Amino acid sequence: MSDSEATAAEGPEVQDASPAEMPDSSSPDNATDVAPTRKARRRPEVAPAAEAEERPKAEEQPPKASSESTVAQGGWGYWGSWGKSILSTATATVATVGQGLTQAIEKAETSLGIPSPTELSAQVEEEEKQQGEAGSETDKAAADGSTAVGGAMGMLSSLTSVVQSTGKTVITGGLDALEFIGKKTMDVIAEGDPGFKKTKGLMIRNSTLSQVLREAKEREELQTAETESSDSEKKVVAHYGMLFDEFQGLSHLEALEILSRESESKVKSVLTTLSGDELVQLREELEDIKDSFSLVEFDDEEVDERKDGDGNEFERELTKALEGLNVSTTADKLSKACKSVNGQISDMTQPGKEEEESEEVEKKTLSVEEVHAAAIRSLAELTARSIELFHKLAEMILFSNGRTEAGVLSQLTVVLCKEISLLSKKFTSCLTTAGSNEKGDVLNPLITGVFLEASNSASYIQDAFQLLMPILEISHIQRRAESTEQ
Amino acid sequence: MEAIWLYQFRLIVIGDSTVGKSCLIRRFTEGRFAQVSDPTVGVDFFSRLVEIEPGKRIKLQIWDTAGQERFRSITRAYYRNSVGGLLLFDITNRRSFQNVHDWLEEARSHVQPHSIVFLLVGHKCDLESQRQVTRQEAEKLAGAYGMRYIETSARDAINVEHAFTELTRDIFALVRSGEITIQEGWEGVKSGFVPNVVHSSEEVTKSDRRCLC
Repeated sequence: MSDSEATAAEGPEVQDASPAEMPDSSSPDNATDVAPTRKARRRPEVAPAAEAEERPKAEEQPPKASSESTVAQGGWGYWGSWGKSILSTATATVATVGQGLTQAIEKAETSLGIPSPTELSAQVEEEEKQQGEAGSETDKAAADGSTAVGGAMGMLSSLTSVVQSTGKTVITGGLDALEFIGKKTMDVIAEGDPGFKKTKGLMIRNSTLSQVLREAKEREELQTAETESSDSEKKVVAHYGMLFDEFQGLSHLEALEILSRESESKVKSVLTTLSGDELVQLREELEDIKDSFSLVEFDDEEVDERKDGDGNEFERELTKALEGLNVSTTADKLSKACKSVNGQISDMTQPGKEEEESEEVEKKTLSVEEVHAAAIRSLAELTARSIELFHKLAEMILFSNGRTEAGVLSQLTVVLCKEISLLSKKFTSCLTTAGSNEKGDVLNPLITGVFLEASNSASYIQDAFQLLMPILEISHIQRRAESTEQ
Repeated sequence: MEAIWLYQFRLIVIGDSTVGKSCLIRRFTEGRFAQVSDPTVGVDFFSRLVEIEPGKRIKLQIWDTAGQERFRSITRAYYRNSVGGLLLFDITNRRSFQNVHDWLEEARSHVQPHSIVFLLVGHKCDLESQRQVTRQEAEKLAGAYGMRYIETSARDAINVEHAFTELTRDIFALVRSGEITIQEGWEGVKSGFVPNVVHSSEEVTKSDRRCLC
C-alpha cells in the first residue's frame, strides 16, 4: 500500500504543525490552518507562499495572539467536533480496509495526544446503546448541544464536549488529525470510487478547482452511463460532481476563475510599470489585502447552540454579511435553497405530522440511501449557489469599483462554511435515525460520504473565496488610479 | 438526470441590451416566457440537451451575457471558450441592428486563436408592426459575414428551437468534418460519454482521458 506509506511519511509534518510547544502562537497559526492546508491538497502552487507568510507573523505578535486565543479556541472547538465525527466514522471505515491504514492513523493520533480510534469507537458504541433507550428524545437532545447524550445527535455532540473539555492542544491536534483523517478517508473512499481516485490524482497536479470538479463529474457521468446501459435496476445514487454541475456550479466557478486570472495578470502588469517608492507603497497596500484573505476567523459562540431549523438564522447572517454589496438576487437564490434544504430536514425528522398528511399520501420513511442522496444533493446545490454568489460578487466588484472590504467577504465565507457544516450534521443525524436498523458497514460509509462532501464543499467555498483576492487587488489599483487623476 | 450525450457545445449569446437574449434562452431552456426580467449582470448560465438526429444528443451549455455597456469589460473575458454563439438584434430597434458589426468584431477578436460559429438572430418578430429592420437587409448582412439568419420570438415561441438546433447542427457538422477539434484547455467542445451499447465508433472521437497520476 503505497498510499499508507506516503501518509506515514507525513506523520512528522503533522507533528510539526501542532503548536503544542508554542501555545502563544497557536491560535493565529491555527486560525489559518484549515484553509491553506486544505488548499495545499488542491493547489500546491498557491499554498506554500501563503503559509510561509502566515507563520512568521504569528510569532511576531505574541501578546496579541494570546488575547485572541480564547476566542479562536471556541471557534475551533466547533471545527474540532466536525473533525471528531469524521474521525469516528473514518475509523469505522478504515477498520474494514486494512491494518496499514489503522496503524498510520493510530500513530498520528498517539503522537498528537488525542483519543485512539478504539477509545473513540468504544465511546460511540456506548452512545449507540444509550441512543436505543433515548431514541424518542432526538430533537430535545439535539437542541441542547453540549449536554446532549443519546438521541441521534448524541454521537456527534457528546464527542464535541469531549473535545471541548480536553483543552486547546487536543483541539489543535484534532484539526491536524482532521486534515490527516480527511486524506485517509479520501483514500479509503477512492478505492471503491474511481471518480474520487481521479479527483485525488488531480489534486496532486497543478490544476484549477473547476478542473478537479469537472473531472470528477465526467467520471461520474461515465459511471452513470455505464450503469444505465448495464443495470436495469435503478439505485438511488447521488453524484456530487454531476449535481454541482446541474446547479451550474461549474460554470460559475469557471467564470470566476477567468475573472480571477485576468485580474491577477493585470495586477502583475501594473506592478511591472512601477518603480521605487510607488512600487513599495503599492506592494504594501496589496499585502494588506492579501493578509485579510489569509485570516479567516470563525465566529464562535452561537454556532453550537442555535438550531436554525428553518434557515432564517442563516438568511439573517447572509444578509448581514452582504450588506452594501449589490448582489441581492443571487443571495436570495442561496437563502431559498437553504430554506428548502432545512424544510427537507425537518420533514425527515418529524415524519409524524399526521394532521397534514392525509392517508393517501402516507409518508414512507426514507431509506438511508435516500437520505444520503438528499444530503449530497443539498450540499451540491448550496455549494453551487455559494460559488455563484462569489462569481456575482466578483463581477460587481469589478464593474462598480466601489470599495469592498475583504473582511466582509471572509465573513461571508465563514457564514457559508458554517451553514454547510451545520447541514451536514443535521443530515448525518437523519441518517443515523433512518439507519438505526442498518449494519455499520452500510451506514458508516454513507455518513462518511456526507461528511466528506461537506468538508469538500467547505474547501471549494474557501477556494472560491481565495479567487476573489486578485479581483480586490485590481479593484484597489483602479480606485487608486482614479483618485490620483482627480 | 441525463448523462448520455455525444458532445457538449458551449454557446455564447451576445447583442445589445434589451434585445431579449435572456428571454430567448429561457424560452429555449425552460419553455416559458417571462414578461418582466431583470437586466443580466455579467453572465448567467443555462443548459439543455438537443437531439440533432434520432439518438444523437448534444448538450448545450449557454452563456448568457449582459448586453449593457458597463459590463463589457467583464463579458469580454468570457468569449474565449465558446464554439458558437447567437448574435441577437431586435427587429424593432434599428440601433441594435447597426451594432451587429461591432459585436461580431468584438467576439472574433476575443476568441482568438479559436474561431466561433455565429448565427444572426432577428428577435421579437412577433412585433411585425413595429419592424425597423427588413428581413432582406438582415439576410444580406448575415450573408456578408457568412452567417445564417433566423427571425425568432420568445413571446410567441417562434423559431426558438429552430435557431438553437440549426446552430448546433452546423457546429456538429464542423466537428464531424474535423474543422473543429476538441482541444485540451479549451471548453468550446467537449466529448461526452456514450455507453457501449449505443456506441458508434467513428463518431465519438474520445479525447484522452487517462489518469495522469
